This record gives sequence, structure tokens and C-alpha cells, in this order.
Amino acid sequence: MLSIHARQVLAKAVLPILILLAVGLVLLGLVRRPAVDGVRLMATDFMAPAYHGLVWPQERATVWLTDLRGATDLAKENARLREENRALRHWYDVAVALAAENGRLKKSLHWIPETVPQYVTGRVTRDDGGPYSRAVLLDVGSGHEVRIGDVALDAAGLLGRVTEVGPHTVRVLMINDDASRIPVTLGSSHGDAIMAGDDTAAPRLIFYPQDHHPVEGERVETRGQSTMPAGLPVGTVHYSAPNRPVVVPDADLDRLDIVRVFDYGDDDSQAPDAPGRVKVRKLPQNPLTGPLPFSWLPNLPDMPGRGGQ
Amino acid sequence: MVAENSTPHLHSAVEPKQTFRRALDMSSRAAMPSLFIMLSAILLSAPFGIPGQAQLQFGIAMCTVWFWAHSRPRSMPALAVFLCGLIVEIFSFGPPGTVLLSLLVIYGVAHHWRYGLSRLGFIAGWLIFSIFAVLASFFQWALVCLHAVALLSPAPGLFQAALTIGIYPSLTALFVWGRRTFANPDQA
Repeated sequence: MLSIHARQVLAKAVLPILILLAVGLVLLGLVRRPAVDGVRLMATDFMAPAYHGLVWPQERATVWLTDLRGATDLAKENARLREENRALRHWYDVAVALAAENGRLKKSLHWIPETVPQYVTGRVTRDDGGPYSRAVLLDVGSGHEVRIGDVALDAAGLLGRVTEVGPHTVRVLMINDDASRIPVTLGSSHGDAIMAGDDTAAPRLIFYPQDHHPVEGERVETRGQSTMPAGLPVGTVHYSAPNRPVVVPDADLDRLDIVRVFDYGDDDSQAPDAPGRVKVRKLPQNPLTGPLPFSWLPNLPDMPGRGGQ
Repeated sequence: MVAENSTPHLHSAVEPKQTFRRALDMSSRAAMPSLFIMLSAILLSAPFGIPGQAQLQFGIAMCTVWFWAHSRPRSMPALAVFLCGLIVEIFSFGPPGTVLLSLLVIYGVAHHWRYGLSRLGFIAGWLIFSIFAVLASFFQWALVCLHAVALLSPAPGLFQAALTIGIYPSLTALFVWGRRTFANPDQA
């Protein structure tokens, strides 16, 4: 048993020791941030089912409220939907025509088809930003093959990239986080730029060509680089102040629910062969002389290449 | 100071018999403040979409530690503060260690000055708490800037400090009631 004096000394030493431990944690966070974030991710993984249970009543209430609100002005909503449907029908026809034309053009250019990206869909488990960062955690279930650097999109556009991967959960750093830098291409001025997050709703555009300033309202798409594929919709350019172009994201960064994470692979660093360099196999000069293997078939029409024309 | 003997009428010569159930009741009442911090930290990490959830985590932890450290230190020992801080750290994604360090510092201040604080009125105590809430938020902001190697906007930190200062009176009202009733080990 400790003496009273020893116990008093111990009681006085507890707080300084704990403060030293806390300072150690601060330093660890500065030099080895991924280690700390790994522990946090494990805790979130563990809590993911509980989070679903916690937000379930809120989700149900939101659904009921939406239904109730919809029921009050059915006629107006119907008219609006009919109008929207008409517009969408027009755009559907345009899209089908463009897709057909695109297919024809690709065929005539010997276009090497792009690999179809693998994707997983997950629900946002938790908004995980805190005061100074913008990130979300996604529950993608077990057995996923998400890798660091994969691209996250919602229904409308680019959302961010995967920075940490846990057994069930992945962390997505959003495009408006201060640490996010995404190479982008501007739609009509065809300039390249870097989209840099600054913790506000609209990330800034930096490093754009000084003789090609971004144009207000033009589309912003990703530029193909490492695991980031080209042409993903990001948003539109808007000047929040003179000489301060920002990107208004297509994705709804404030209200995220279902998010898809695409794995485009990292094998696109090798440029595809240009059509001119594809070796064309020369056809034989002479027409086929021997009998075809299926010439015993009765009533066989004239085969091309047999000289029957 | 009223904190240690807030219910003198219960300290009679006749003490209730110390049974296992009573010991359990007493310890659960004493652990109430720590449980409050841990539960609110876990609850506020769920995706409810309430604006300022992360800031509330910090604010609730700061207010709770400050109040109990000066008004009933037996219910909030240093080790409990450390554990609560660790839980808040695990269920938040701010710069690591800052909440823990802020809680320990504010605990040290409140515990050390508890006799002086009890003589001061509520407003004066609130003002002193406000200074420390601002300092803690500033410290967090400075660390984030250091980590990002850039000068970030201090607005989120100021919002966090304002929220922490703003919820203090209502939380104090809850705790003063709790100190007399459900979180009072003497009433077990």
C-alpha cells in the first residue's frame, strides 16, 4: 500500500503525464496522420451498422414528409413532370442520335475501346469533415476492390477521390477539401487548369493559361491523368470576383446519399497505338483455289472469293 | 465550496447499508458526465446532416469537462477526461490530439481554480470559459494551418468557439439539475 505522501505525489503527476501523452498524440498526428486516421476508420467500420440504425428514423421521417408535401400539390407536380418529361424525351432522341453517330465515327477511326470501369455503389455512412476538411465515409460492404485514388461520383458529377480504404468503409476526400487538387480541362476555351479546393462550396481554378482565361459558364471536365479518366463532368465555371474563377460543382456536395466509386485502373499510362501504326495483315493475292470445307452442303449460294461472280 | 457537500442533509450519522446495488448506483451516477460526453460524441458522429455536428462534439465535451471539473471533481477525474477525449478523437476527423489536449488543459484550469471559480458568479465563470474555448479553437486552427502549410480561413474555428460559448448556459442548467438529482452519487 502506498503512503499518503506517495499517493499525493502520484495524484499530482497524473495530469502532467496525461497532457504529455496528448502532446504526443498531437505530434503523431502531424508526422503520421494516416496511422491515426486508420484507427478512426476502424472505429467507423465497427459502428457502421449502428449508424444505419440511428439515421433510419430520420430517413423515414424525411420520406413521409416528402410524400406528404407531394400529395398536397399533385396537379401542379403532374404538370411540371409532364413538361419535364417532354423535354427529356427530346434530349433522349438527341442522345440516341449522337450515340449512333459517335459509334459510327469510332468504328471508322478504328477506335480502341476503353476498358469498362469497375464500380461499387455505397451509401454515405457519415459526413466526416470536421471544421477544416470536407470528406465522407462510404459503406461499400465487404469484399470490395476499391483502391486509393479511385474516383467517386454521384448522379450528376465528380465528387472526389478515395484516400483511405477499410474493410467495409472507404473515405472519400471531396473536391472542395483544402487538400484536393484535380487536373481539369475547360470545355470551350480548351485550356487546362487545376481545380483546388478551399473548404468552400465552390473550388477555385488555378494554373490556367494566362492567354486563355476560363469563360463564365463553360463546362469543366477532368483531364486524363494517372487513375483519373478524361471527360468526367465536374461543373461549370463561375467568376465569384474579378480574376477569381471558381467551379460550381454538378454534384450536390452538401446532401450526399448514394455514391458510386469507379476503379478506372492505372494502366492508361501507356498510350494506345495510333491507327497508322496498327499492322495491317495483307490479304492473299490469289483467290481461294481449293474446295471450301462446307462445299458438300446442297444449294449453297455462291461464296465470295470463289470467283463465281 | 458547495460541490463536495452539496447535499448536507443526506450526511447524517445513519448511512444506508453499502450493498452491491448501491455501489453500482453510485458509480453510475458518478460516471454520468463522462458517459454523457462519450454518448454525445458517438451520436453526433452519425450522419444526421445537422449543421455543425463536429463543432457540437467539441463544444459539449468542453462544457461538460469545465463544469464538472470545478463543481464536482470526483465525478470527473483526470483519467476520465483522458478517456473521454480519446473517444471524441476517435469519432471525429479533426487534427489528432487537439480536442484531447484542450480538454486536459481546461480540466487542469477548472480543477486548479475551483475554489476561486465557485466564488465568482456565473457570468464571470462563463467569460473565463469563453477565453479558453477561443484559445482551444485557435490552437486547432493553428495546427490545421501547420499541417496544410497554408493560411486557412479562421471562420470555422470562430464558429466552433461561438457554438461552444453559446451552448454553455443551457448545458450548465442541465448539469446543475443533474448534480442535484440523477448524477448525484449521494442520492444513491
